[in-house]
Amino acid sequence: MKLFKNKTFLLFLPAGAFLIIPFYGFLYAVIQSLGGEGFTHYHEILNSERFLSSVWFSIRTAGIATILSIILGLGFTKWFYPLLTHTSHRVMVWIPMLFPHFVWGYMIILLLSETGWMAQAFTAAGWLEDRSNFPVWTRDPQGIGIIITYVWKEVPLVILLLFPVYASIRPEYYALVDSLGGNAWHRFTTVDLPNLLPVLVESFLIIFSFTLAAYEVPALIGTTFPEMISVLGYEWFYGSSWDDRPLAFAAMVLTSLFLLILTLVGYFILSRPRWRAMRGNRP
Amino acid sequence: MIRKKAWFLILTLLLFVIPLTALLLQSLSAPWRFHTGQGLDWGWQGYAILFENPQLWEATFISIGIGFAVLFMNVTIGLFTGKALVSYAYRGKAWLEALLLSPILIPSLAIAMGLHLFMIRIGLADTIWGVMLIHLVPTVPYSIKIFHNSYQQMGKAMMEQPHILGAGFWTQVFTVELPLLRPAIRSLTFLTIVISLSQYALTAIIGGGRVLTLPLVFFPFLDNANTSIMAAFSIWFALIPLSMYIIIEVLMMFLPYSRLPWRNHR
Amino acid sequence: MKKFMPFFLLAILFMTACSDTSTNNKDWTEASWEEIEAEAEGTEVRLYMWGGDEGINAYIDDYVTPQVEDEYGISLKRVPLDTPEILQKLQTEKQANKQEGSIDVIWINGENFKNAKENELLMGSFTEVLPNFNDYYNTEDPAFQRDFGTEVEGMEAPWGKVQFVFHYDSEKFENPPATFQELQTWVAENPGKFTYPSAEEFTGNAFLRHVLYAQAEQPADIYEQPLEENNITPTAERTWSYLNEMENNLWRSGEHYPNSLTELDRLYSQGEVWMTMGYNESRAESLIEEGVFPASTRSFVMEPGSIGNTHFLSIPFNSPNQPGALAAINFMLSPEAQLEKYKPDDWGENTPISFDQLPEDIKEEFKAVERGESVLSTEELQESFLPESEAAYVDWMKEKWFNEVVQK
Repeated sequence: MKLFKNKTFLLFLPAGAFLIIPFYGFLYAVIQSLGGEGFTHYHEILNSERFLSSVWFSIRTAGIATILSIILGLGFTKWFYPLLTHTSHRVMVWIPMLFPHFVWGYMIILLLSETGWMAQAFTAAGWLEDRSNFPVWTRDPQGIGIIITYVWKEVPLVILLLFPVYASIRPEYYALVDSLGGNAWHRFTTVDLPNLLPVLVESFLIIFSFTLAAYEVPALIGTTFPEMISVLGYEWFYGSSWDDRPLAFAAMVLTSLFLLILTLVGYFILSRPRWRAMRGNRP
Repeated sequence: MIRKKAWFLILTLLLFVIPLTALLLQSLSAPWRFHTGQGLDWGWQGYAILFENPQLWEATFISIGIGFAVLFMNVTIGLFTGKALVSYAYRGKAWLEALLLSPILIPSLAIAMGLHLFMIRIGLADTIWGVMLIHLVPTVPYSIKIFHNSYQQMGKAMMEQPHILGAGFWTQVFTVELPLLRPAIRSLTFLTIVISLSQYALTAIIGGGRVLTLPLVFFPFLDNANTSIMAAFSIWFALIPLSMYIIIEVLMMFLPYSRLPWRNHR
Repeated sequence: MKKFMPFFLLAILFMTACSDTSTNNKDWTEASWEEIEAEAEGTEVRLYMWGGDEGINAYIDDYVTPQVEDEYGISLKRVPLDTPEILQKLQTEKQANKQEGSIDVIWINGENFKNAKENELLMGSFTEVLPNFNDYYNTEDPAFQRDFGTEVEGMEAPWGKVQFVFHYDSEKFENPPATFQELQTWVAENPGKFTYPSAEEFTGNAFLRHVLYAQAEQPADIYEQPLEENNITPTAERTWSYLNEMENNLWRSGEHYPNSLTELDRLYSQGEVWMTMGYNESRAESLIEEGVFPASTRSFVMEPGSIGNTHFLSIPFNSPNQPGALAAINFMLSPEAQLEKYKPDDWGENTPISFDQLPEDIKEEFKAVERGESVLSTEELQESFLPESEAAYVDWMKEKWFNEVVQK
């Protein structure tokens, strides 16, 4: 086995070499956030009401967007995966992925703002008396616009991540459940879920960390207050005086640590023996 | 099945195709001001301004080149690491997986300055190589995930069998694993190229303006109130991953055991 | 984890290692202009500037680039990049002691200039070697001496001049407000038809500084004073109450302020609001032509006046081609280049050049330019001109506005 172990180590080499790059960057950010003054900057932001309210708003908004994306993406893949084996179908579903996030956000504004096409179409159809009666869905204080943009954009990503797993589940397993008298729910919990769970947890982590920390969409479609943490960090970073930069680094380091801990927790849960056993012979 | 297909088509049309159509229409007409009562004012103005930009073609080709290079490195790193992760069943695996995912958990604004410093130190700042390397940061974790999952689905038996039969490492990769990894490579192509194409800040800082990619030309136009230009740019943007996806799809036909269109279907 | 140790060690090695230390030793500001021109011949100059306006881009690509090629044999490369990003790049390069950069000329002013100067990201004083600056500009003009209150000290050369104006649709209403007091009345009478971008945004911040000027005893109390919070407390109080009184009648009852000028422009374009604004007196022209703004768009300024500023060209500390940069800047300051920039076809921006120092024929040509119907007359603009305050006010406004207006 020793030989095999060494070989595994060799396979990790490229990834290890690659990891130097982001870690160097992160180390630098940590140093900048300390700024040679210990934890004063951390102390400052943790006492800043503006920061704390943005943390809550960000976690709430990103959380809702992520969970919705995963539920919808899972439903879509589960229901339609045989159809997705056609390249043309897949490409249709992946259309939103062709565009960068801000373009999609921009399209949401074109579609759903008070002057958008929906409002205009509804008014023309006589369903709305006046454009101004259209609900405020973009740049709203509840973050609805941000959530819509992310869900619309991330559902295809969830489909993309889940599709290979579904494609590789052998139909024999379903037949087995059926022959043992199981129903659709049993099929989902005993065959799909053990296979999907790692991907679902990882999708959650990927999408959640992205929506929590990305700047473009909230900057475009968010409102003045409450603001996402990324917007605040950006303002501290590129603000007119550079004195606030350590604050920006401190905010981003805290965000990163939070996400890293969340990820670790996620993987520890996944590595629990129960789930490994349910995935059968594949450790 | 037919009903399912109908539903699928309705949903995708409504959610995915119509927005695209709207964007197309906007790119082909003057900015919409319907409240004045005027209809669509057709024209190529959006595209005309797009193609007037002398940097457009250069930026497009450089972006495509970088996209392919990034994809290649991603497949290499992702394949090795994904394979290693499946064979690795010791303690600390949770740590290892979290570590491998971490580059996309850290906000890129936080690490951009450090990355720039790094690239200056190793002499790759302001070069296309530096940009390719830096685009690995937001993409490689995805590739590792995707390959890891695919290897897991493939099952250990599938990987031990060729080994027992005496296949070398590379033979095994090319004749057994790669053909089975085709869905993963498809997803990866799409994902890495789209991500690589939307990196503005990292490309701007590391490439320093010497490496001109499409977002560098495109992003400043976000400050523009002319929606036609925006729409035309977005369409141009979307065509790139699409065409690259098709190229990869064609290339994958040459993997062993692929169904070729000019052969009889099973 | 142990297996990764070597890589971390390697990383730390990189962190401590030093990069190249080559320097461009020659001080070109000591050289004669002929020498600089000779050295610039046949080189490449990289101009980094914000690239979000196709009119400005076209002016550089279609006019300046071929002209400098003809005149100096310089091949000019325009690189679209936002100024804060340019400065960040320079700062990191400074930190890494990278003496051979990639940027030769940058477009800069205000707080960016302040940051660049304070962090020593610029080459130094160079304007006195430029023949065109000495010949055709009033070098003593206070607008060239101080940039948002920061001493210029010859570290940037004036390239253009803009003034803040408001735009309205003359088909929607006829008499735009003439003072900030009247604006408040107008907003009360037309609820939901006015808003301004948030203080984080360049234009929104400038609007708020106008309000501050208007609430002071006289505008000079602000722009001639360095920021002392205690001294302006009464003025600040009046400013917040002015804004808070207005808030309920703003677009969406002031619950949301546009994140960018683009957003406000789109609202105006859609007829949602009836006014927009901008820090460039002629910017409506191209937007009208493209069909974004209605053709009936006109501009106006209000008492006590409208803030104007100058924007500049400068050279970074590690420019690899200083002679080329000097020659290119010299060309961009020339009367011909300024005249072309003044014409509304591409950019249509005002010039900082001194008309008194120009030869008669060029002066006539400047006078003959029709700037367009949406642009106010030069006299009107000059009469209402107010200088910028110190850059510190910009930051102060961002923070206070958020606390006093948004969160209230």
